[in-house]
Parts: sequence; structure tokens; C-alpha cells
Amino acid sequence: MNILLPDSWLRDYIKTDATPKDIAKALSLHAFSVEKMETTKDGDVIYEIETTPNRGDALSVVGIARELRAILPRSGFSVAWQPKTFPVFSPGIQDSLEVVIANKALVPRFSAVVLENIKIVPSSELIQSRLQKVGIRPINAVVDMTNYLMIELGQPMHVFDYDKIEGAKMIVRESKEGEVLTTLDGVERKLPEGVIVIEDGSGRLIDLCGIMGAENSDVDETTQKVLFFVQVYDPVKIRKASMTLGHRTDAALRFEKGIDFEGVIPGLYAGVQMLQESLGVVPSSALIDIVNIPYTTDTVELDYAKISAVAGVDIPKEIVDRTLVDLGFELEDATVKVPSWRKGDIALIEDIAEEVIRIYGYYNIPDNIPTGEIPNVCEDKTFYWEDRTKDYLKYMGFYEVYTTSATSKELAGNNAIELSNPLSEDFRFLRTTLTSQLIDVVERNRGLREHLKVFELAVVYLPTKSGLPDQPLHLAVAAAGEDYLKFKGFIEGLFEDFGIKDYPPFSVEVTKTNVVYAELNFDELVIKASKVKSYTPITGFNAIKEDLTLVLPQGVPYPLIEEVICAVDPRVVNVLYKDFYENKLTVSLEFLDTSRQITSEDTKGIRGEIVRVLGERFGITL
Amino acid sequence: MDLLEVEKLKTQALTDLDLVDSLTKLEEFRVKYFGKKGLVTVVTKDIVSLGADEKKALGRALNEVKSVIQGSMESKKLELEKSIPSQLPEFYKSLPGTRPEIGHLHVITQAIREIVDIFKPLGFTRVRYPEIDWEYFVFEALNIPEEHPARDEWETFFVDISRDEKYGRTVITPHTSSGQVREMLKGNLPIRMLNISRCGRRQADVRHLPTFYQFEGLVVDKGINISHLKGVLNYFVKNFYGPEREIRLRPYDFRFTEPSFEVDVLCSNCLGAGCSLCKEGWMELGGAGVVHPKVLEYGGIDSKEYSGFAFGWGVERTYMMKSGTQIDDIRHLFANDVRFLEQF
Repeated sequence: MNILLPDSWLRDYIKTDATPKDIAKALSLHAFSVEKMETTKDGDVIYEIETTPNRGDALSVVGIARELRAILPRSGFSVAWQPKTFPVFSPGIQDSLEVVIANKALVPRFSAVVLENIKIVPSSELIQSRLQKVGIRPINAVVDMTNYLMIELGQPMHVFDYDKIEGAKMIVRESKEGEVLTTLDGVERKLPEGVIVIEDGSGRLIDLCGIMGAENSDVDETTQKVLFFVQVYDPVKIRKASMTLGHRTDAALRFEKGIDFEGVIPGLYAGVQMLQESLGVVPSSALIDIVNIPYTTDTVELDYAKISAVAGVDIPKEIVDRTLVDLGFELEDATVKVPSWRKGDIALIEDIAEEVIRIYGYYNIPDNIPTGEIPNVCEDKTFYWEDRTKDYLKYMGFYEVYTTSATSKELAGNNAIELSNPLSEDFRFLRTTLTSQLIDVVERNRGLREHLKVFELAVVYLPTKSGLPDQPLHLAVAAAGEDYLKFKGFIEGLFEDFGIKDYPPFSVEVTKTNVVYAELNFDELVIKASKVKSYTPITGFNAIKEDLTLVLPQGVPYPLIEEVICAVDPRVVNVLYKDFYENKLTVSLEFLDTSRQITSEDTKGIRGEIVRVLGERFGITL
Repeated sequence: MDLLEVEKLKTQALTDLDLVDSLTKLEEFRVKYFGKKGLVTVVTKDIVSLGADEKKALGRALNEVKSVIQGSMESKKLELEKSIPSQLPEFYKSLPGTRPEIGHLHVITQAIREIVDIFKPLGFTRVRYPEIDWEYFVFEALNIPEEHPARDEWETFFVDISRDEKYGRTVITPHTSSGQVREMLKGNLPIRMLNISRCGRRQADVRHLPTFYQFEGLVVDKGINISHLKGVLNYFVKNFYGPEREIRLRPYDFRFTEPSFEVDVLCSNCLGAGCSLCKEGWMELGGAGVVHPKVLEYGGIDSKEYSGFAFGWGVERTYMMKSGTQIDDIRHLFANDVRFLEQF
């Protein structure tokens, strides 16, 4: 999540000789990436900082300032920390709030105070300008205070019009499905079950907790008293509600990342102080502070050797200690106490190691290549054959294409598995075949190329009775403007290159638009493939080649004819298809006798036998 | 000199002529037989010194032989001239050759090959894991429990098949890190894995496609630390992008590594000066980190004894950050327009 922070605001907390450019560089290298810097008209610099999801605490001025307190000295700059303290206010007695929380886990901490003498006036220029710099629209001094402190302290806050809370009563509970509430932005929201809400004494819902207040209890021109409200909610519930409702507010994004438990009351004091100074408000109730889940400090056992082992370089104890203290950790012998704003993020020595090493500087760690034992593994030979196939097809004139795994129902093939949350109907089904998309590619390029050969080698997803889908690698080839037998020959040529003698069954089909295509299970090809070439001794005798033209009856496939011819005599060493015209098939025969020179007398005999067998088995004649 | 010798001269000449296969050699042949000191010329001169009868008989025979050889030379000349165009032979040589029809490998294939070629010599072995996998390997085993906000980072496609008791729902793997625990569970240590695979995320714009490729490196061994991660990544970057492209590691947060980094490389355009293509001189390559002890435990590996590092980057993105690629819109990669494909 990116946040905007003005340089001037950071300098409320830290005094340093580092320029904004220095700060941006140091922050990027040691903590969070500064994506952009923008100089404003009044000479301020606004940083756009990308914080990480684990660091809710960094979504604030004080959070980034704390980082800089640890980082800047490591980068050679001076830093003086200027703490802010917020005084305890004197409570009033005139107003009160009845709070009912049945399920304590929803609100680990609930704090509030009623403030009277409210005036609805604009904020000071400084506050308005700072809010504008971080992209928040100033409204009035009361509402602005809550937004201002959310940015400064990272603690979301809310103000209700106290007089609009019927019976001065709040019931914090989970919503029932179908309950309706209109939020401050005027949008009516129908709630699912399990959203944290507040009901007042009259049974109305007055707050969509941690996300946005309700319109019926908002601060307006007539407001006299406010209930100033600072909470810690169950982060998982806030996240779920905000996601389900599709309403991702600044408050929700902070609540769901976790709130500094120990920052709640100081935050409340800070707010009261701001309004006392600007508007002269007076607390008219006691401080309400309900702790439903007591805070405990997390600790980690410190292991200096482990930190150096993770880094790969020795980091002295003094640097480790100094870094941790600068970051707000407390050291007690070999135990580290995790600061409240980092609770939940730091649990292991590895987490501590990361803190120390990032501040130490990753650029201070040398580059090494792992030594050690050689892994005892063999690469899956599929990768080799994939490369070989791709090269073969490329040099045969094919273009390689990549199409998407999910596609439309029409292109995905039969029995395709569906996605539960597709981007669109065009990407709803997982393909069971590569062919349809490949033909589509050929068709779409028709206007550009009359002759085009394409292929794709990728996984398809086949449904199974249980468990994960079968995910075999397939090879598909398609072409426009290509002769059928020539196209088929590319595939047979590939088998030959793979050293496959017994071709797996495959078929080459043609679309109505004359696109020739075929698809093969590549995993099966790899099983049959072999790099082993065995040598047959070369004979000193010559072979005799002769053509043979046969008249075919219907229904005899070529491979069978070839098989039968070869089986007639071992001296038939090769049968090649030469021509087919009307019903006449011409094959070229190669005769060789490895023990003596074969003669035309011999071949005459063999030919006779071939014709006899073919005639007998299939009714083939000369 | 007698008739027999004349006959022999003829046989020799015709045999020689048979071997002539160019106009240059034909000229050499002419000089050998009919030049000033040519074999035929010399014999002709010899005849002059003979007696009248002999001169007459041999002279006739010699003339016959001469005309046979010259006739053969003439036909040889025609034959040779026919085989190349008679005019402008030099121009003909300058014409382009008839080229074989050669296709094109997709840019993703080329990128993958370059990546594999760099990691192989470091002892990495390529593997392949399911593209459609259990949520367990994609999230839980990577220390990202259900409901954790980190799951937002990956816009995951869910597959509509029944849930498994132990492994949960089925998803299109949104990253190649799902291979990490699968690799560890093979029980074969040490590990130097390179997992390159098709992934899917619910996103589609100029920079993102619902289908894309990632490459994932995983090393698990005794004594592995950040310096090894830096060394390997630097070796890759220098080999892939060139020696002037430095890298830097920035802190980041991933649930399955601790510490975690984002790796940046110096911008190909400005080399660090800062320009409109980059962030203050740097381009983001992708994530990396030291394998989280919990992930090692999910993989059945003792995190006290072993440690490791991992990285997982987009193939297309990594390739497009090479200087000179100039692919402005990632959607070209799966659009399969031949005018795009034939440029690679």
C-alpha cells in the first residue's frame, strides 16, 4: 500500500541534516521504497512511499519517522528525535455512554470520550494544507482532526454527533444478513452476516465499524457535542467486511493490518488536545476505556550468532544492540521486547535478523556463490526433447505461438473444467486441447499470411474423478496453405528425429477452411524417444532399387501394405511411398543382401512373392 | 612418331577433356594441347621433319584427331556456358540465395532458454510442477494462512472442482513458489531448483496478462545465507543484462521468506540517473528472500540444520527490461500476430 507523506511533517519528529533526496534513498535501501517525490509550491516535498503489508505501523508520519531514526545514522546523517507528548485531560461528569459488548473478541480495546462546546469551523491553514498534501479533503476542524491524527499516528478515529446516539447507548455486535445501513458517503449498504456494527438505544445501526460511520449519526452544522471514538477491532473481521462490501477505506486498510494497542489512549489524548487548542472544547464525560483483550508484550530470544549466520557476514554485537534500540525494541540480557507497534510482525529470531540486517545495509554484504555438495538429481529429459522439438519445427518453417490456459467454451474443448471466478466468458474454461486456439491463430492471421505454419507446446488440463486435473504436455501443429502429406511428413520427421520407430497413433485432420492440424501427447513421445543410435555394419554389396506399381482395392491403408511387403523377405530393406494416382500406388523398393551381391534374378523372385502375398491378402494386383 | 602415338594423344586428350568442369579449366586444357608448346602443336611441328609419305599419312591422321578434339572442346564449351548465365556472371553471383523457409521461436521460449543457460552452470536443475495446484502449496505451505491479507497480493483464479480435505481448493498457480514445498518434499538435499512455469492471475492490462510465466530459484543447503542469494542473483543479472547493470536489494515482506527483498536493477535507459521509464534510476525485477523456517518445516526440512534462499520473477517482465527489446505492450505476447512473432 502506498502512502503520501510531506517532508515537513516528518521533520516534526526528526531533526536531521539529510536532504529529502537523502531521506528517499536511505528509506528505499533500508525500509520502504520511495516511488516518487513531488515538490509543492510552498517548497515542501511529498514522498510517495510503498509500505509492506506487514507494517501497518508505517502507514503514518510517526511510523516513517521511527524508521528514519534508526536508518539515518547508518547512512552518515545526524538525527535528533523530537518526541510529542499528549497531556491527560480532566474528565467531565455530565455525560456518559452505556456500552454493551457481548463478544469481546470483536473489539479488543474500546475507548471514547464525550466533548462539548463543539464549533463547526474550518481547520487551521497548516492542518488543511497537510491534509491536502496527503490527498484528504478538509471538511471541518472536528472531522479534520480525526483524519490528521490517522495520518500522523496511524490510528483511525471517528466522531459521532453525541446527541444522535439514542439513549446514549452502544451495542457492539455482528450484523445479521440483510441488515441495511447508509454510510457517510450517502451509499445504502446491505450487509452480509458477521460485519462489526454498532446499534444505538433505539435499535438503529449507527456505525459500520472500522470502515465508515453511518449518516444517521454524523457530525453536521448543528452538532453541539461529539463522541470521540478510538478503537482496536478484530483485523480479520474488518478485512472480510471491507472486502465483501467492496469498500476499502483508509481506516479499514489500517485496522486490518493491526493497530498499535498502546497507541490508542495517547491518540485519544492527542485528539482532545487538538480540539481544546483550536476550538476550546471541553470533555463532558469520563474517559471510557474498555480493555477486552489485555495487551501482552511479545519477546524473542536474542541469538547474535544466528543473525550473522543469516547475513553471511559478522555483525558486531554493538551494532545489533544499537539498531534494535533505535527501532524501539527493548533489550533485557538476551531477550528482546517487541515494541507495541510491531506486535504480530516480530516473533522469531529470523524476524529480528531481518530488522538488524536491513538497517546494517544489504549493500554491505558480499556476493558469494554457494559452495557445498552437488545436488544428486537428473533433469527431467522432457526439457531436452522440448528444446529439440521447438528447434526442429522452427527450422521446418513453423512459428511458435503461446495461447492462454483459460479460454472460451468453444475453444476449450470437451469436458473442460470451469473457473469459479473467471475474468470474462472468454476466459472461463481451462483448455483440454491446444488445437482450437491454434486454428484460431491461423485464421486470425489469414489476411496477413496465406501460408502459415504454427505450433504450440504446452500443458492441457483434463478432468479426473478426484484430485488435481491431469496435466499432460501436448504438442499441436496447424497450417494454412500447406500440402496434406507434406504437413504429415513434418510430424513423421519429428518421430524420426526422436529415434521413434513405432509411431504413436496420430491423425492429421483438415478444417472446412483448409487448415491442416494435428495434436499429440508430448509426454508419450518423450517416453518413446531415444538418443541411442545403434550401428549396423555397412556392407560392401550394392542395393538394387526398383519401383512397383500396384492397383488397390478400396479400404486397404498404406501402413498395412508397407508392413506386409517388408515381411515378405528380409532382403527388402526399404519401402518408400512414391506416388498415388487414381487407384494406382507406386512404391520404391530397395533390395539388399548383406551376404552377397543381390542380382536382378533375385529381386524378380522377391517381387513375384510380394505380388502374390498382396494379392492373396488384399486382392491387390499389378 | 607413328599412328599409334597419334591415337594415344587423342585418347589422352579426350580423357582430360572429360575432367574439365569449368571454363577456366577448359582454357588450361586448350593451352596444354594447342598452346605454343602444346602437345598437339609440338607433334605438328615434328611432322615437318618427316619423309613425304609418312608426312602425308600422319598429317591426315593428325588433322582428324585435331578436329575431333576441337569439336569436343566446342561442345564442352557450350555445355559449360549453358550451366551458368552467359552474361554478367559476377552479377549473378551477387544475387541473393534461395533461402530455406525458417520459422520463429516465441520470445518467451527464447527468454526461458537464456535464463536456463545462465543458471545451469551454477548447478541448478530445471523442474516442473502442476500448473493447476492445491491452495495448500500455493498459500498454507508458504506460511500464508487463510484470511491473511498477504493473499490479496495474488489475484488468484479458483478452479471449480471439489475441495480436498487436506489441501483445500484448487487454483491456477499464481506464482511458481508453489513448487518450493513440493521440491522439498522430494526429500532430496541439497536443493538447487529452477522451476519455470505458466502462472495465472486475475488481471489484464498493458503490464499484466491472466497467463504469464515465472522462474523460481530455490537453494537449500547447510550454511546458506544472504551473501549467496546476492551472489547468485548478481551473477544472473550481469550475465543476462550485461556487466554495467548493477543490482540492489531493498527490504520487503513476503510471508515465505525472512528476510525478504525486492531486487532492483539499474534502469536500461538512464543507468541510474533517473528517467521516465524507472523509479529514481532503478527498475524492479522481483522478489527474493531467505526461506522462512516455517516453510522449511512444511517441506520436512530441519531449519536448525538447513537454510536456503529463493526468488521468483516474471519471465516476460525480466526479458522486457533488457535494453533493446522495446516491447511496449505485454499483450502482444499472447496475441500471436505474425507481424509480431516474426520479429523474434
